[in-house]
Amino acid sequence: MLRLRNVKCFYGRIQAISGVSLSVRQGEIIALIGANGAGKSTLLQTVSGLLSGWEGEIEFEKVSLAGLKPPEIVQRGISLVPEGRMLFPPMSVLDNLKLGAYIRYRRKEREQVEKDLEEIQDLFPVLRERFRQAAGTLSGGEQQMLAIGRALMARPRLLLLDEPAMGLAPFMVQLIMETLQKLKEDGMTILLVEQNARAALQIADRGYVLENGRIVLDGPAHELLADEEVKRAYLGKDYREFTDGRM
Amino acid sequence: MPIWKHAAECLSLDERRQEQLEKVQSTLNRVFRNVPFYRNLLEGVPLDPSEVRRLEDLQKLPFTLRSHFSDNYPYGLFAVPLRDVVRIHTARGTASYPTVSGYTKKDLGAWKEMVARGLTAAGVTSADIIQIELDAGLANWGRDYKDGAEAIEAGVIPLTILSPEKQLMVLRDYRTSVLVISASAALQFAQWIFRANLNPNAVALRTLILVGEIPGQDLRRQLEEQLHVTTWLNYGLSEVPGPVIAFECEEHHGLHINEDHFYPEVIDPLTEKVLPMGQVGELVLTTLTTRAFPLIRLRTGDRARLMKGSCPCGRTLRKMEWLPPLSQEMIMIRGVKVHHQQIALLLERVLGFLPDQCRFLKSTEDLNDILDIWLHVEDRLFFDEIKGMEQLRNHVASELSQELGVPVRIRFKEHISFL
Repeated sequence: MLRLRNVKCFYGRIQAISGVSLSVRQGEIIALIGANGAGKSTLLQTVSGLLSGWEGEIEFEKVSLAGLKPPEIVQRGISLVPEGRMLFPPMSVLDNLKLGAYIRYRRKEREQVEKDLEEIQDLFPVLRERFRQAAGTLSGGEQQMLAIGRALMARPRLLLLDEPAMGLAPFMVQLIMETLQKLKEDGMTILLVEQNARAALQIADRGYVLENGRIVLDGPAHELLADEEVKRAYLGKDYREFTDGRM
Repeated sequence: MPIWKHAAECLSLDERRQEQLEKVQSTLNRVFRNVPFYRNLLEGVPLDPSEVRRLEDLQKLPFTLRSHFSDNYPYGLFAVPLRDVVRIHTARGTASYPTVSGYTKKDLGAWKEMVARGLTAAGVTSADIIQIELDAGLANWGRDYKDGAEAIEAGVIPLTILSPEKQLMVLRDYRTSVLVISASAALQFAQWIFRANLNPNAVALRTLILVGEIPGQDLRRQLEEQLHVTTWLNYGLSEVPGPVIAFECEEHHGLHINEDHFYPEVIDPLTEKVLPMGQVGELVLTTLTTRAFPLIRLRTGDRARLMKGSCPCGRTLRKMEWLPPLSQEMIMIRGVKVHHQQIALLLERVLGFLPDQCRFLKSTEDLNDILDIWLHVEDRLFFDEIKGMEQLRNHVASELSQELGVPVRIRFKEHISFL
């Protein structure tokens, strides 16, 4: 569904991504894990059109995304849930959700948008209770739900999530991950960037490990979860153990 | 015939290429980071791993040769910390040091899976009893076949060194239905069966998995007719990395390469250029999933041809035709490859010198393929007493046989025999 080949990204002269190839097939959850600064968010921003300094090939449903602006990419069916949620705090939950559907109002899908608003509230019942409340007054977990809900309002076929578990309590992380699984069961395809590698790999089908802008490992998520190197580097083992015992 | 892992074996060609590109790139990134040998080798060419943008770009990279294994003895080519290695395998190399390869838990899982694929493609199921009869030189494959057989939940009689009588007894009494064996050993097995007056119909044997060497069509037909079995060919490398790199399906027309684990190329061994699809040359393999002992463009020394077109069995894994060796530098004894260079090296070690004239041949002794070594009786090999000569001959034969894992016979010859 989404295919990257030899993607290189630049911030001015600095190269953040050095030739990444990866693929997301229809109906999969793909976890992209890696340390801070490895380039995970850069990749998501590139796919969603927020970063223009890139080369290589990015294809969504066999059509290139080169040169497209973010709204056009949303129209193609890709929505991003950005890092830090990026909500509009003074606006109500409802208005935040409606903003997620702004490309659809122009297409006169008003009725369908109303239905989708209902569906989002079914998915996150807590949002129904806070419908008229300002987004800024929600808890971290609720804000994350709202950010996901807002992205879904554009009716994407591919959902990109940048660190949805960041700063959340463990039970909330679990709730978010369960929601993503539910979305997958309903046919959604998901590319998930996460520093919480364990949580991400537990729900993913496959995973990629990014290091200094390069993919160094890939494979089925259950294999990566059991991988000694992944365990040491990303699943909370002591860094010393990684360097010990090396001949 | 069932397929062990449909999603992996029947992936669309388009997705296969994408997957291979991703895995080639991540393998290069790993070896470049973790293996100084590859970093140096790659730095010799003006190429960063990220410059391999297409699978065809692999051609720009240098080859891994067998001599590199010995040069980096023992752990120089390992790409993971030693603590992640769960199996260490030693194979006789072609130089002074042996080839040492390592496997992580995940690597062993991959081999288990590849063997399971090959066995499933040969119609082997959990109802079968598999007997593994390989020479000591292929002992590592014995372990992999055992693991793979267990993965498909077949009953397995692991590799055990037994006398021919006992092997036959096991075959008959344990109701072995599948035999994993080299073609020449299978032929010998057939002769034993007839000598023992055992009716092939009275034993449960129905499948032969032929490994290690490539039997001619005549030999296969002969085995199938004599033993009333179907034969299936598996291709692997005995030094590294393992036994079922490619396997035959029910079409018996070429061997499916496990392309999700290996990227194959066929090169002209002289010009070292990649040959167009369908041409015969030397098989070169790059590992795609191996963690402990990744290999970039390993020259296998085996002759092969990549085959065009799809296979009616449904697998999209590319097929290859495995061809008998042309090389004068290597002899195949019961599936074990023995290089001339390797024999010479061992002779030099055992004798303290290399006789001025030697000849290495494959012969048959009591239905058994053996390595026949002719040595010129020069002064340094000459003793006054026959007893001394006899002792030396036995000593050399037993040392070489132990090292090479194949039966060895030493013959002292006059100069005239070499003319």
